[in-house]
Amino acid sequence: MSAAPPLRRTSPSRASAAPARRSTIRRPQLFAAWALIVPFLIVFAAMFLVPLGYAGYLSTFTSQLVGGEVFSGLANYTRALQDPSFWAGLGRVAMFLFVQVPIMLVIALFIALALDTGRVKGGKFVRLAIFVPYAVPGVVATLMWGYLYGTDSGLIAQLFRAVGLDAPTLLSPQNILGSTMNIVSWEFIGYNMIVLYAALRSVPTEMYEAAEIDGAGAWRTAWSIKIPAIRPAIMLTIIFSVIGSFQLFNEPNLLYSIAPNAIGSDFSPNLYAYNVAFKNQDINYAAAIAFLLGFLIMIISYVVQLATARKERLS
Amino acid sequence: MKRTHAATTLVSLAVASTLILSGCTPSAGGNAGSTTAAVSQADIDKAMQTPTTLTFWTWVPDIQQEVDLFEAKYPAIKVEVVNVGTGTVQYPKLRTALKAGKGAPDVAQIEYQYIPSFRQTNSLVNLQPYGGDELKSKYVDWVWNQVADDKGVWSIPQDSGPLGNLYRSDIYSAAGLSQAPATWADFASDAQTIKDKTGSYISNLPGNDPGQVVGLFWQAGAKPFSYDGDKTVGIDLDSAATQKVVKFWQDLIDKDLVSTDADFNDAWYQGFSSGKYASWQTAAWGPVFLQGTAANTSGKWTAAKIPQWNAGDDVSGNWGGSSDAVITGTKNPIAAAEFSKFLNGDAESTLTFANKQFLFPTTTDTLTSPDFTGQASEFYGGQKVNELFAGVSDTVSTDFQWLPFMDYVYSSFNDTLGTAIADKADMSSALTAWQDAVVAYAKQQGFTVK
Amino acid sequence: MTVATPSPFVSSAVPSRKEAARARGKRPVERDKRRSSVLTIILWMTLAYFLLPLVWLFLSSTKTNGDLFSTFGLWFGQTFALFDNVGQLFTFQDGIFVRWMGNTALYAITSAVGAALLATMCGYALAKYVFKGRSFVFALILGAVMVPLTALAIPTYLLFSAANLVDTPWAIILPSLVSPFGVYLIRVYAADAVDDSLIEAARIDGAGEFRIFTTIASRLLAPGIVTVLLFALVSTWNNYFLPLIMLNNPALFPATVGLAQWQQAATGGGGAQVLFSTVLTGSFVSIIPLVVAFLFLQRYWQSGLSTGGVKG
Repeated sequence: MSAAPPLRRTSPSRASAAPARRSTIRRPQLFAAWALIVPFLIVFAAMFLVPLGYAGYLSTFTSQLVGGEVFSGLANYTRALQDPSFWAGLGRVAMFLFVQVPIMLVIALFIALALDTGRVKGGKFVRLAIFVPYAVPGVVATLMWGYLYGTDSGLIAQLFRAVGLDAPTLLSPQNILGSTMNIVSWEFIGYNMIVLYAALRSVPTEMYEAAEIDGAGAWRTAWSIKIPAIRPAIMLTIIFSVIGSFQLFNEPNLLYSIAPNAIGSDFSPNLYAYNVAFKNQDINYAAAIAFLLGFLIMIISYVVQLATARKERLS
Repeated sequence: MKRTHAATTLVSLAVASTLILSGCTPSAGGNAGSTTAAVSQADIDKAMQTPTTLTFWTWVPDIQQEVDLFEAKYPAIKVEVVNVGTGTVQYPKLRTALKAGKGAPDVAQIEYQYIPSFRQTNSLVNLQPYGGDELKSKYVDWVWNQVADDKGVWSIPQDSGPLGNLYRSDIYSAAGLSQAPATWADFASDAQTIKDKTGSYISNLPGNDPGQVVGLFWQAGAKPFSYDGDKTVGIDLDSAATQKVVKFWQDLIDKDLVSTDADFNDAWYQGFSSGKYASWQTAAWGPVFLQGTAANTSGKWTAAKIPQWNAGDDVSGNWGGSSDAVITGTKNPIAAAEFSKFLNGDAESTLTFANKQFLFPTTTDTLTSPDFTGQASEFYGGQKVNELFAGVSDTVSTDFQWLPFMDYVYSSFNDTLGTAIADKADMSSALTAWQDAVVAYAKQQGFTVK
Repeated sequence: MTVATPSPFVSSAVPSRKEAARARGKRPVERDKRRSSVLTIILWMTLAYFLLPLVWLFLSSTKTNGDLFSTFGLWFGQTFALFDNVGQLFTFQDGIFVRWMGNTALYAITSAVGAALLATMCGYALAKYVFKGRSFVFALILGAVMVPLTALAIPTYLLFSAANLVDTPWAIILPSLVSPFGVYLIRVYAADAVDDSLIEAARIDGAGEFRIFTTIASRLLAPGIVTVLLFALVSTWNNYFLPLIMLNNPALFPATVGLAQWQQAATGGGGAQVLFSTVLTGSFVSIIPLVVAFLFLQRYWQSGLSTGGVKG
């Protein structure tokens, strides 16, 4: 539903434009439209809607190792809402939302703005190099950072010792959240930077040439002209980062094998659902957790968009 | 061609989904315990001459050499070896395949502690009618009890891990110690000496390895788990014996005489080659791990028995080891059973396991075979390590049991006692928390907790 | 959303092509400006953060297991073992790594082509035809983005199993054909790139709807299609969760799952296999094709990205 608010916001204009159009659509066009859409819809239904419906169905049963499955309505949902593991995972996701996402996007935005000024030597190389981690699979990235974090012989520990400091315990329970955030940031700063940079490139020059002539500094131009101009692209990066945070799985799942005590089985709600399903063998409960999670993502994406929509209307 | 295939699969998917949605809810639990009549030799002969393909899930490296022996003897049977991943990766896959009723192998490697959980879901074929009972005398007593009970024979033992003590004799002598500790009290005083004289930790207790901790419990005479094969479980993780073990290590950890690094990762391997740890209380499969990872310390290691709680005793526990079970749903139970029996019973096959893959044997024949016990190891300064561990195997207590949901037990270990170990926090109360978590889970899953 | 009034959500992320062309014309990237040494230094320093781990990965793939942990991470070890490691990588377990790379390529390319095709058809139709239920279909597709993967993993597994698809390449390819983002991107792109008047003109000339799509629209949509293709390629190439659940047979694994399994074998208790340098060499080798592809195709994806910036 990420595009729902914009849909809604344009509805007045649609009201005026659509009827005129609708009257012009002819049968062959209607046929063509559906013929083009149906192949996707069939795959979409088979690969998405059917499993989703099945998951919903499963979530209304309770299963026990002894006794099997019985219909239990919403019992799994109330259980999830009272499950400290579920909330602990959500808490970490909240940390991602309020700490990792802003840091990642601010850095991405800063780099994009800096590159956009055209004042950086070798800017093209820098841009590509920063983007490269996006092409590295999450599995490889996590594996690699896992080695770098190693307390005894990891690269980071070596560097600390080289300057005579104690090596940080990056895989300890206290630090693992930050270490995970770092991996995710490393993977996605470049991607977000490219999106923002691409948006900046398409801001018409006239918009701020006047400001520059007026003597506004680069910072002022960036802050009051460029950033507002690319707000939609910023929104996009925020929404995708929010969704990504809620779906956090690969990184903790792979770090688990090198830092099992620090990660725990409920590090993120997604990891928890996976563990409940595959290790505790409680598929029904896992389906309920996943559904709740999807519901939360929807609400938050909606709220984020509404908030920006209002802000835009005000300004 | 490809498009049509895709279309058919899509259609069959749609059909399948309606089938599942309208179909019955799969039920689990209960206990089959069905005893069919014994399979006759004629049936076996016939089955072994019928062309058959068996699927075998295992993560033992290079197991093809033992499989080849089997295929040479029974040319009609072809075994497809699939390595879907080590234990914790394989079990979820096996469970989902079983739940789906499709895609499960004929034979699967299963560690001892997970046998009850697959039994509980009726996923293992009772091998009694397939000549399982006659095998009892071939295997070490305590190992046999891990795979069989009065209700049936659930798997064939492949390897085991009786606990011993591997130590760096050079570090010990640098600390002025001439021999391995005989008791845990000696171990504690040696720990202080070693730390003072050499700076090394006497050992490392990982917070991520419930197997080792449970092995130490086992050695201390604790009986934390029991299962009647049906609906009743006993959970006694918080007992005098387990608290004794936990308090002992807590003391050493608090005094910084024992480290608490996670095991089997790069840093931990590094700890052995750098002399960070002076010993490792490990299983009989441990020696070869060190050979591979701490090659630079070759010749400096010695194997000894595990320290005792009471001077003069000679008891050990077990850590690890696997079996090969026949999975229900197999269309060829006879061939599958014969395969598992051959793999883990044939003299050449078991000896190859022992000497080539370094899986510690479970058959008395191999354990007493000079070809096995006679091997002298350079890494251990020419010591006959196998002989030592073969002796240890006789001292493992025979009535240790597991719960039918060890996945949960072990993952909750990581969240409770394991975390306390890693954080050097209060292990005693964490042990209680572990007990409580396991009891709560058992009740929630419908078990009767004794 | 109507074609006439594209949502502000999208409007400036997706400049009209005319606008973009003008901007490009007026603002060459390397305009003759005074360089800022402060910015240059800062950015080149951040570069260390992004590239040093990869440098480390390369150097590690040149080391023996022993050197890996005993020598400095940012320089070569005592023995230069790159060729040994690569040899070991390509021969270990009968050279299964080669197969894994092949599988990865097969899954990624098939899925990407299929996903781009389906998304292009659907996105174009949603953008260019007004019909009842259109916004419902679009909202439904976008809603798909919200649902976490795990919600679907097990039901999909059970359904696939009933259809005999588990442990086959189809189990990876079929779900990867669904790219809601692709539909979104094409829909947004088509709204701008394919002029309504052009379509009307073609109709008046007597061209059928499908002819218009295959000849006129598809050409105008090409940059958008390439972008969808590339990002679908990346998401399947990097996918770990789906193959982890769906595949049992190592011969079908993509490189991600295979490497993770080796890593697990190296760290797990099961068997004594010291695979650290093999795993790291494999990791390094596995990222080369995609990095190279991105570098060579940068012109395409950079232009495609400026038309909506969509992940996956």
